[in-house]
Amino acid sequence: MASGNMKVIKRRIKSVESTMQITKAMELVASSKLRKAKEKADNSRPYFKALYDTMCEIQSENEGFLSPFTKRSKNGKTLLIVIAGDRGLAGGFNANIFKLAQQRIDELGGKDNVEILAVGKKSVEYYEKRQFTIEGKFPGVAEGLTIYQADKLCECVIEPFLKGRIKSAELFYTEYVSPITQTARAMKILPVETEKPAEGKRALPIYEPSPAAVFNSIVPKYLTGVIFCAVLDSFASEQASRRSAMENASDNASEMIADLSLMYNRARQASITQEITEIVGGASAD
Amino acid sequence: MAAPFQLNIITPERTFFSGETTQLTVRTAAGDIGILAHHTSLVAALPAGPMKVRMENGEFRAAAVSGGLLKVGGNKATILATAVEWADEIDVEHAKRSAEDARQRLAAKESKDSMDRAEAKLKRALNRINVSSMK
Repeated sequence: MASGNMKVIKRRIKSVESTMQITKAMELVASSKLRKAKEKADNSRPYFKALYDTMCEIQSENEGFLSPFTKRSKNGKTLLIVIAGDRGLAGGFNANIFKLAQQRIDELGGKDNVEILAVGKKSVEYYEKRQFTIEGKFPGVAEGLTIYQADKLCECVIEPFLKGRIKSAELFYTEYVSPITQTARAMKILPVETEKPAEGKRALPIYEPSPAAVFNSIVPKYLTGVIFCAVLDSFASEQASRRSAMENASDNASEMIADLSLMYNRARQASITQEITEIVGGASAD
Repeated sequence: MAAPFQLNIITPERTFFSGETTQLTVRTAAGDIGILAHHTSLVAALPAGPMKVRMENGEFRAAAVSGGLLKVGGNKATILATAVEWADEIDVEHAKRSAEDARQRLAAKESKDSMDRAEAKLKRALNRINVSSMK
């Protein structure tokens, strides 16, 4: 009986060990992808920061200035751009972003008032299953995202806005705070809101061809940038989240192996003791 | 020797160039303009076009800009562009292929949207081909 028990335990140890190998490998892959994603996100930041600053300057220097990108209307739906991952097994990463988006959808009065732009396979699946109006689907773009892909994504946001089909656009992404902290965030991107630059008076620049023309040419680039950064940030968060989930899984697996080894050794000891008792019993019977 | 000024060329992928130069020529929507040190404040939209920077050795180095923005002020010039390449780094074969592809799409006359995009692509490709011969 004892040797049968030993066999079962041995088999379980083997199975836990092979699971641990997988989680370990996933952890390593995620951390190397995380490093790359982080670098890319950091490199892109100065560009969009500069665009944003210029946009704010133009608006503050030219008061009463109107652009199709700043108009506010009361009618129309709200477009939610929800950026999730392409794969699961990343802890609460996907669930958190959907939860945040759902809160906003409830605030806006249910799914009839919103349209969804789904980025990431998980996001597409989630909203298709729940029968939302989907404006665009972008599965599998996060890894190796190029600025041209972000541009296309951005067009899907700008076009319905300029045509008045949607009144505003909001972006849901996961901000990468640190390797252990990632926060789901919401950001209003259309109509464009700018803040006043902090510095005092400066010489008014010449705008070529005109402030409005420059502003209107910047906005799409800026939005592309915001989306680009958000997708990269979310991707980095996904990897970080997966890394820590897999780290936990590997830790749990090694704990399980330790427990099982203890049980195995006890069973082995018990079977040896039993054998000796049997031999001793047999010898004294003679 | 002309006075130097700071020039930064930034793209979404990286900081392409950061250093001092004495003269910059760039194509704006209204035509080519030259920037020297202490230029007045200026913000200009840039279509796809060539750009020339005078390097430390006094020679001009040409680059292709694929649309963006030029900002000048406080003896500093910043170019924000979707993509920038030095003339000697341009992949001419690739540019020719994408020009061909864009022409085909223009000829297909599908929708206004795709025609607009193809036209922009063609302009970028032709600009690259043009600049690559300027080295």
